[in-house]
Amino acid sequence: MGTENPGRPNFPMRPSSTPFASALPTMTPFSSRGPMVGSEASNIRPIPPGAPPTMTPFSSAGSSPPTRFSDPSVPSPPITSVPSAGGPFQQYPTPPFPSTVQTTPTRAPPVGQPPFQPPANQISAPPVSFRPQSQVPPVPMVSAPQTVNFPPSSLNVPQPPSESLFSGPRPNFQPTLPPPDLSYSTTKSTFQPPFPAYPSKQPAVSQVPSPFPAQQGSFMPPPPASSSPFSSQQGSYVPPPPIAAPLGYQSRDQMQHPGSAPPIGGIQTLTEDFSSLSLASMPGSIEPGLDYRTLPRPLDGDVEPSSFVEMYPMNCDPRYLRLTTSAIPNSQSLVSRWHLPLGAVVCPLAEAPEGEEVPVINFASTGIIRCRRCRTYVNPYVTFTDAGRKWRCNICSLLNDVPGEYFANLDATGRRIDLDQRPELIKGSVEFVAPTEYMVRPPMPPLYFFLIDVSISAVRSGMIEVVAQTVRSCLDELPGFPRTQIGFITFDSTIHFYNMKSSLMQPQMMVVSDLDDIFVPLPDDLLVNLSESRNVVETFLDSLPSMFQDNVNVESAFGPALKAAFMVMSQLGGKLLIFQNTLPSLGVGRLKLRGDDLRVYGTDKEHILRLPEDPFYKQMAADLTKYQIGVNVYAFSDKYTDIASLGTLAKYTGGQVYYYPSFQSGIHGEKLRHELARDLTRETAWEAVMRIRCGKGIRFTSYHGNFMLRSTDLLALPAVDCDKAYAMQLSLEETLLTTQTVYFQVALLYTASCGERRIRVHTAAAAIVTDLGEMYRQADTGAIVSLFCRLAIEKTLTNKLDDARNSLQVRIVKALREYRNLYAVQHRLGARMIYPESLKFLCLYGLALSKSVPLKGGYADAQLDERCAAGFTMMALPVKKLLKLLYPSLIRIDESLLKPSAQADDFKNIMKRLPLVAESLDSRGLYIYDDGFRFIIWFGRMLSPDIAGNLLGPDFAAELSRVTLHQHDNEMSRRLMGMLKKLRESDPSYYQLSYLVRQGEQPREGLLLLVNLLEDQMGGTSGYVDWIMQIHRQVQQNA
Amino acid sequence: MAWDLMFWILCFFIKIALVSSSFYQLLSLSDLESDHLNPFEASTRINSVVIPEFLLQGFLCALFLLTWHWFMFLLAVPLTVFHLMLYLNRKHLLDVTEIFRDLNNEKKYRFVKLGIYLLLFTLVLFRLLSAGIFFFFTSKLEELDIRSSLFY
Repeated sequence: MGTENPGRPNFPMRPSSTPFASALPTMTPFSSRGPMVGSEASNIRPIPPGAPPTMTPFSSAGSSPPTRFSDPSVPSPPITSVPSAGGPFQQYPTPPFPSTVQTTPTRAPPVGQPPFQPPANQISAPPVSFRPQSQVPPVPMVSAPQTVNFPPSSLNVPQPPSESLFSGPRPNFQPTLPPPDLSYSTTKSTFQPPFPAYPSKQPAVSQVPSPFPAQQGSFMPPPPASSSPFSSQQGSYVPPPPIAAPLGYQSRDQMQHPGSAPPIGGIQTLTEDFSSLSLASMPGSIEPGLDYRTLPRPLDGDVEPSSFVEMYPMNCDPRYLRLTTSAIPNSQSLVSRWHLPLGAVVCPLAEAPEGEEVPVINFASTGIIRCRRCRTYVNPYVTFTDAGRKWRCNICSLLNDVPGEYFANLDATGRRIDLDQRPELIKGSVEFVAPTEYMVRPPMPPLYFFLIDVSISAVRSGMIEVVAQTVRSCLDELPGFPRTQIGFITFDSTIHFYNMKSSLMQPQMMVVSDLDDIFVPLPDDLLVNLSESRNVVETFLDSLPSMFQDNVNVESAFGPALKAAFMVMSQLGGKLLIFQNTLPSLGVGRLKLRGDDLRVYGTDKEHILRLPEDPFYKQMAADLTKYQIGVNVYAFSDKYTDIASLGTLAKYTGGQVYYYPSFQSGIHGEKLRHELARDLTRETAWEAVMRIRCGKGIRFTSYHGNFMLRSTDLLALPAVDCDKAYAMQLSLEETLLTTQTVYFQVALLYTASCGERRIRVHTAAAAIVTDLGEMYRQADTGAIVSLFCRLAIEKTLTNKLDDARNSLQVRIVKALREYRNLYAVQHRLGARMIYPESLKFLCLYGLALSKSVPLKGGYADAQLDERCAAGFTMMALPVKKLLKLLYPSLIRIDESLLKPSAQADDFKNIMKRLPLVAESLDSRGLYIYDDGFRFIIWFGRMLSPDIAGNLLGPDFAAELSRVTLHQHDNEMSRRLMGMLKKLRESDPSYYQLSYLVRQGEQPREGLLLLVNLLEDQMGGTSGYVDWIMQIHRQVQQNA
Repeated sequence: MAWDLMFWILCFFIKIALVSSSFYQLLSLSDLESDHLNPFEASTRINSVVIPEFLLQGFLCALFLLTWHWFMFLLAVPLTVFHLMLYLNRKHLLDVTEIFRDLNNEKKYRFVKLGIYLLLFTLVLFRLLSAGIFFFFTSKLEELDIRSSLFY
């Protein structure tokens, strides 16, 4: 895996690890020659040029070798027949035995055999020589600085670490000494044809067309037929080329080598094309030739692709719009070869950092400038012509008139002279103030309506109290003062309405118990203006918990209550927050217990569990959307509450589902408080619709996320905020696109909380390409994974979980296979797995996705409710958050807690993410696992009692499931809390509750943490290494 | 004879109703596609005629069976069974929330159904005409009458 360690010049030495490593040393002596040719020559007898040396392929992997050898003449890599000329074989280690040239022609060993054997015969004690490599007269080598360059590549060894050895050792060979046992396998390489300085060979080296410069470089055999793949040979022959063969893992590294011969340049560009992992198994080892340490991991979190913004600097920021590839294919056939989703992920209201807010523009006098035909909004990519009197739409190329008030002269270069005063012409994201044509009714006020379950379980869990307190504390911060409206309904087996007319001293409660024929007892005053009725509302919230504290009602008339709320709200629309603690049991929309049936899993009926049971919910959702009501569902039950049905309400109204299983206010209260507060106070766009337009010839065909489609391409979003993202896929309508660039424009028309109607417009351009390789190069893993995630979750609604996972895997395999085919002809890939640098994390995220809560395992792996709730949540998550959830961070913190406080602010350094494998956990350490939704703090078994004591106070010895983390009066505890606070602030959309767990505390540890270490093998699922092997096998199968 | 004629006239009108309901649904769907109709209205319109259509088709099918019109019955029975299946799986109504995702399939399904109805309609029309002719010329065409009853 070259990609990972691009920058590393020197690899840590792990001498014993790979057989190959041992080989390396042997090679080195030769390599050093460059300068020393003369000296070498002295050691080794020059072979007559005519005599081809026999090289044995070192790579024990008989299977894979062919690919690596660039030299066509060698058909089966391992075996090279020595020409009769009987070039004397020199043993690689020859330095010690310089004269050991074998006069008799020796055949290289057949593939299967350890190559070196034959020579061994001749040389009495080859192994010996190896071990003591130190014996090898290193002198020449040392002197030659070039030796370093020698790539062990000849070894083919996939493992970087082993190779790395070379770099370190080069100067002195000792480190390279192979462990004795290894010597045999390694020895193969040892045989070197001693051609000290073959002039003729040099050219050959340069010619090598191998795509993997590094490796190939090393392999390149000398042109003569019998040439052996040994890099060492080359080294010896060609003085300059050695450079070419740096560790070779990363092409770039190679490039950087100062000494590289000129021809290499060409190779370099090729190498940039892809990254590779070589998977050939090592000889003699059962383990796959893949070191988990070297696999690519997104330890830096989500990295937004830079090419998108670099190529078109006026594009909107990737936080608003991300394309799965910024190179749009120009033909249907190209699309069909791109097996990944082709589309975009849009987060129209993403939070912008300070100073990058979207400018608001008011075209009061001119009206908003739009294309007459396609209705595109004016944007930085439109061109002005005809001395500024006309403008050409960049999407449909229609020539439009410039309204008089908007006219400005053009300068010599054809740019408007007032460009710097027109943000809409220089920025990819702008917001227009919409005039009355964009309203079907006066802009609605922000409206919050609460539907609260007050049955016995809700009372017992303490949910009501937390909700009432939180709402009360947020009253001042609700957006849209002084127009904000608010209202409440509570329900158990009856429905309670509250009259909160401002003239009353305290709210009047009205009870409706006729559930079959719901009516609203009061035409007005159930929904009141918050600033006018503030006192009544506060009185109500203060008394709410006590009002029902003795309630023993176990029923829940949720359906009728929902209908009542709908009736109250339908005049205005707004946001409906549902707090639900029991399974709806009365009236319309009552639900049954389901999902307990183990036998349903794995059958065709399985997916029905994940669909709403009663059509009432879908119908209700549609009605709510129609009247601009967005629903957020807060579910708390410790028993089954059918989130699949309840969540439907949120799904089609652009809302979200918050699920707090077994809610206890003592434990989860903080989380609910923060999340509810954020829900109430974040900037919200009301009664919104969103459309994405794109250039001629392409069309968005399917949309994925929480919303309802109002027409084929119009998303209805009753309430939308910065935490929601929407994904869409596009397809080509024409068989061939002839333009160079395609433009996308997202337009969100909404009512801001201040009562202004606005249009937020994001514009982006992308190049159209004819080359599949380019598409892969510009792919955006984050967007692709986001789309994959949504597609897979949707698939679980109509298919088995298994099918959803398989289809995900199949698509990844297809894409990688297609990519491999692009290069398979040109380059010998062998057993190497190749993928574009841009998609290096795709496999890992694929694995993470199939282990994510909505998709993982079967019946027992996740509660049905949990699965559904996670599904609804993930359908709405923006890319960054989703990637964090899929590959959470694991951070070791004990060391930083112990350090002097001066470094406490060095936050970035402390937060070094570790791979999610059990091996990352040291039993002497303290770790935080953070997936964006919760923290799991893991105490190692051997963690110093000091730390535990300081952090946990007196209960550090108790069972941690009963302990909650709170600040103690010592430096360490303060620092930990500070750290958690910073982590939370970096991601405020959800509140991360801390769970403490001690190593070995089963089954809690397993459930909380171990099961989430997704790179490990766990209960029948594959680990990262297996997964890569599996994908690789499938890629090769039908290649 | 008069009964026969009346029977075919009845069938004729039922068929007309079925064809037109099918046509109406298709029209609503294409209106929806071209954005002349919003999904709420489109689904309300379509869903309001689905059950009557199913009942009518079932009734017709039963009528054919009871009147011993084997051939017509066999032609009509597959569709009736299909309707019954949809109904039992609760898939007979359009899902307003996912209407755009299902749009193409729904259109295809209704096109096929329209085709079947039209086929049956022509057969019914033919029978109606021949029944009418028989009715008015019974005396002269007795033999024919016997022969044709074989087909019924």
